[in-house]
Amino acid sequence: MLNEEKIKKMRKLAAYESGAGKEDLSISNYYRSDYIGLALIKNFFFTTIAYGLLVLVYFGCQGEYLMDNIHKMNLVSVGVKLVLLYVIMIIVYSIFTYIYCSVKFSRAQKRIETYYQELSQLKKMYDKEEKRMDRLTRRRKDA
Amino acid sequence: MTALLLWKQKIKEFYGEYDTWILPVLKFFLSLLLFTEINKTMGFMDRLNNTFVVLVLSLLCSVLPVNTMTVIGCLLILGHCYAVGIETAGFAFVLLLLLVILFLRFTSRDNVALVMTPLAFTLKLPAVVPISCGLLRGPACAVPAGCGVVLYTFMKLVKERAAVLQGTETEALQKLQILLDGMIKNQEMWLTIIVFAAVIIVVHLIRSSSFDYSWRIGIVTGAVVYVVLMVFGSMFMSISMELNAIIISGILSVLIGLVIEFFVLGVDYSRSEVTQFEDDEYVYYVKAVPKSMVSETKKSVKKFSPTTEHKKEVQEINEMPKTVDLSEAGQMEELDISDVAPVEHVSEEDFDFEKKLEESLKNL
Repeated sequence: MLNEEKIKKMRKLAAYESGAGKEDLSISNYYRSDYIGLALIKNFFFTTIAYGLLVLVYFGCQGEYLMDNIHKMNLVSVGVKLVLLYVIMIIVYSIFTYIYCSVKFSRAQKRIETYYQELSQLKKMYDKEEKRMDRLTRRRKDA
Repeated sequence: MTALLLWKQKIKEFYGEYDTWILPVLKFFLSLLLFTEINKTMGFMDRLNNTFVVLVLSLLCSVLPVNTMTVIGCLLILGHCYAVGIETAGFAFVLLLLLVILFLRFTSRDNVALVMTPLAFTLKLPAVVPISCGLLRGPACAVPAGCGVVLYTFMKLVKERAAVLQGTETEALQKLQILLDGMIKNQEMWLTIIVFAAVIIVVHLIRSSSFDYSWRIGIVTGAVVYVVLMVFGSMFMSISMELNAIIISGILSVLIGLVIEFFVLGVDYSRSEVTQFEDDEYVYYVKAVPKSMVSETKKSVKKFSPTTEHKKEVQEINEMPKTVDLSEAGQMEELDISDVAPVEHVSEEDFDFEKKLEESLKNL
């Protein structure tokens, strides 16, 4: 006979696995420090690319002005300003990434815990059913 | 209201039964609308501005995840920009890349708002986006919605300056300068981004409160905030805007917001209950608001056993040709009922009212 309770639980678990669970399960493969560390490294590269693009667009659009006035400009101070801006951008985005990943990790952990609890409940259901079937087959054999 | 609730119940049942088909169909129509509007707004590349291509892309989107719509929408915009000129396409690519790296990578679940915002603008309903984002998602949705405003401004700019951007007299650097100035110095864009963020936060804060009718109050407040901020903002920043369009957009967004509330929430505040209890560790203040549910009344049809005469009539009817009008069928049913329930017809003149009355009084 069909066990309705078991089917409901299986459906719930399968829906989670194919939906939000996919990402949660991949996150749960990491330790918290590893996950956040990896995200910070990725963030460093992404922010560098974005900063490079921004600088490129800025200089591209100010190209004419720069060509005319480059001899009057203090290039060292321009370089320092650029580096300073880059460091500020990296720090701001790193803080943001740290907070974002911490929250994401803790939320995923909570969901994964409930998932594993329900998975163990399902396993218990299976064990129970198996035992019942064993008992039935033994009785039949005895008879 | 009861009829509406019944209708909602039926829709829910229908959706529950056929959701495997309904969801792809809805995604298909949404992507069809989106791609058609992108083509209508830009439409520089003839190969992309083609109904067959749009249909194929919509079909693809109907079976793939929702974010595919965003990606394909952005690719369409890039394609049209390429038809305008390589500089425009390069600028669009850099703009999209910057939006993704700086903002959109943190809001991967809400990125549909990025392409829905230009769609809402082309349909003259921009206020719908922040209100529905505030109702259905959260404050984080302000990021993709804001990026959507940037994208729409860029699309409009390319359309307006297409003649200059396509021309060979203008240098590549000048073209880039035109695009950059058109984006950065566009005060309307900055005002819209700020207003969108404000409306999303206000609507979300109000709708997540526990007081009665919080969703409706959130929708109306959101629309009022949108209209007021847009009007005053345009006055202070001396931007020329169509006042009527802003107000109409606000009113229509309220209506759409109410439809969303009806389908997503649907609670009956008149039956809400407030209770308070405690255990060893906590004191609980609980407010329970029941959902509006209507059970459909089932119609029961009683069948009467036909008399022998009636049986004959039924046989005659059965022998009749089967192509009978519905109106005729209705008449037949009426005939059946009158025949089945025989009533003794007595003319008024023969009936002795006084005698009958005396008899009934005696019985009393």
